[in-house]
Amino acid sequence: MRGDILISGRGLCRYYRRGSETVRALDGVDIDVRGGEALGILGPSGSGKTTLINLLSALDAPTAGTLTIDGRRVDGLSENALVDIRRGTLGYVFQQFHLVPTLNVAENVALPLLFLGRKPDPAELARVLRSIGLAGRAGHLPRELSGGQMQRVAIGRALIIRPRVLIADEPTGNLDRETGDAIFELFLKAVREEGVALVLTTHNHLLAARCDRTVTLEDGRVKQETHGRPSPAPDALAPSAFKPT
Amino acid sequence: MTFGAFAWKNLTRRPVRTLLTAGGVALAVAVAVSLGGFNLGYRRAIAGSIEQLGFQVMVMAKGCPYEAATMMLKGGTGLLYLPEDAHAKIKTDPDIEAITPIFIGIAEKQGASISDAPSSGAFTILSGVDAASFAAMKPWLKFKAGQGYDGGRWFTPGSTDEVVMGFEAAEYEQRKVGDVFYASVTPSGKTDPVMHTFKVTGVLERSGSQDDGTVFLPLKTAQKVFGREGQLTIIGIKLREFNGIRMREFEGRWMGIPEVQVVSLEQVKGALVSLVGTAQTMVAAVAVIAIIVAVIGVINAILMSVYERIGEIGIMKAVGADRGQIFRLIWTETLLVCLAGAAAGCLLAVIAAGATDAALRHLLNIGVTRSLVRITPELLGGAVLGSAVLGLLAGVWPARRAAALHPVEAIRSNE
Repeated sequence: MRGDILISGRGLCRYYRRGSETVRALDGVDIDVRGGEALGILGPSGSGKTTLINLLSALDAPTAGTLTIDGRRVDGLSENALVDIRRGTLGYVFQQFHLVPTLNVAENVALPLLFLGRKPDPAELARVLRSIGLAGRAGHLPRELSGGQMQRVAIGRALIIRPRVLIADEPTGNLDRETGDAIFELFLKAVREEGVALVLTTHNHLLAARCDRTVTLEDGRVKQETHGRPSPAPDALAPSAFKPT
Repeated sequence: MTFGAFAWKNLTRRPVRTLLTAGGVALAVAVAVSLGGFNLGYRRAIAGSIEQLGFQVMVMAKGCPYEAATMMLKGGTGLLYLPEDAHAKIKTDPDIEAITPIFIGIAEKQGASISDAPSSGAFTILSGVDAASFAAMKPWLKFKAGQGYDGGRWFTPGSTDEVVMGFEAAEYEQRKVGDVFYASVTPSGKTDPVMHTFKVTGVLERSGSQDDGTVFLPLKTAQKVFGREGQLTIIGIKLREFNGIRMREFEGRWMGIPEVQVVSLEQVKGALVSLVGTAQTMVAAVAVIAIIVAVIGVINAILMSVYERIGEIGIMKAVGADRGQIFRLIWTETLLVCLAGAAAGCLLAVIAAGATDAALRHLLNIGVTRSLVRITPELLGGAVLGSAVLGLLAGVWPARRAAALHPVEAIRSNE
């Protein structure tokens, strides 16, 4: 449901050992992610953005603090237990697309279903391909796509499981501004139309300003939290922010 | 899409590497299958050729049993002879069901009458036999019928100018019933060959044995032609009851005859099998090394493939793949490479079986007529199964490495 707290972190710490030194990548961060909101995480390099997003996405476990994802405590869980948390709840998009080069667009999008033991529903797959504007390129291989199109495939791969939270780490980092804007709009569309929560890290303040809320990190701590422009209601949206390519 | 289909597609991203890896497996499997086929075929060929001799026991002049065995199977020079009266003595033995005296000699082939086929060789084996007892010992020998061959019969016992030709001997010499057969023989103790002329009374059908390349003539005639009256090359014996005890008893009764040895064809079979045992062990060692190299190649190729896909594996873990699924995926890829290699190796071994047989026949010239390489479905099935097991073992390490990758580190690996 929109507004429900899906992810809640309290006093999140993540320390690393580097030789004899302990690096405090994250040091006592409190954060909530609510359904249907776009949360931007800002901060300079080394501020802890990626560390935070790894914790929020159950890819990593905190050294200290408590973390709850979709009502389940995550801190202290094993890797396989974290997989259970991630499956079907969280969708990921990364700066590196990491598409499987021998699978076509449709197969790349449907890949998570293989690991969930589900056969892709053709109608659902077609819907996702339409939503990312690649319905006409379902049979194309990644090498036949542009960078923006590849990132759209990665977004489709995240959306196919109908996640409750979409997590994106620097998703526009490898794209030019125009393509980056388009990709960002696609994320917002998912938030508005499908009610998913979006957690996104970026260096781009203009993009972050379009989120409902932004958290700025510095030296592993929350420096500032800003509430941005509220997302428009779903019925106020244009039919599609993207034209199929 | 299934795990199998996904794994197969992953293998196609580096087709040359996959082909080379599968090729290594194929080569190892081909060597192993050929060796297994040789093991099966060689024993069967030896057993078949000895079976075709028609008797279980040979009495012959003392000498090397290996030489005696191969001489019986393919003929040869440097023959040793035993006195004919040994036959008269031994045939009184109550355990004997059938007995036949044989004299073997070598004749030079003659110019215009000889086929130019290189396989015809320079010599013809002349075998002096007692037609009645010899034919009774080998009931499967039949005379060839058809135009030019009808009316074939064994020579009359006292004849001095009649011969029966084996199938291949007649083919090489291009002889039919009623034709003349020339043989140039150097009698014992002489230096100059003497030309003899015989009439062909019959041509035998192909038997698949050494008899196909032999020219038969009456025992007395053969002894006279070679200047060895009263001498035999071997005495073939079939016992009423053949087993180890009976054989030892029989041997004990007749080993006292001077210059004579009693040889069981079971011993000959064992001797011939052990003759190539060392060579087989060496080839087996080569096959084992080839298999080890292939397995190392598979491990290396799959490990490289894992390292190239660390980022992808990280993403797979992020989108829901657990350790077991990643392990299964990499394991399946290894299995597929090994199975593809095994299939290709089996095909290669089957296609090359003829060439392998010819090469082995050239190396091991022991006179067996059947194929030395026998590739059976069970052998091929075993090779595929063995490859699958090796593939699964080879896949454990790369699959464990892939499964153990931490998703965060894997995803960041390319940044």
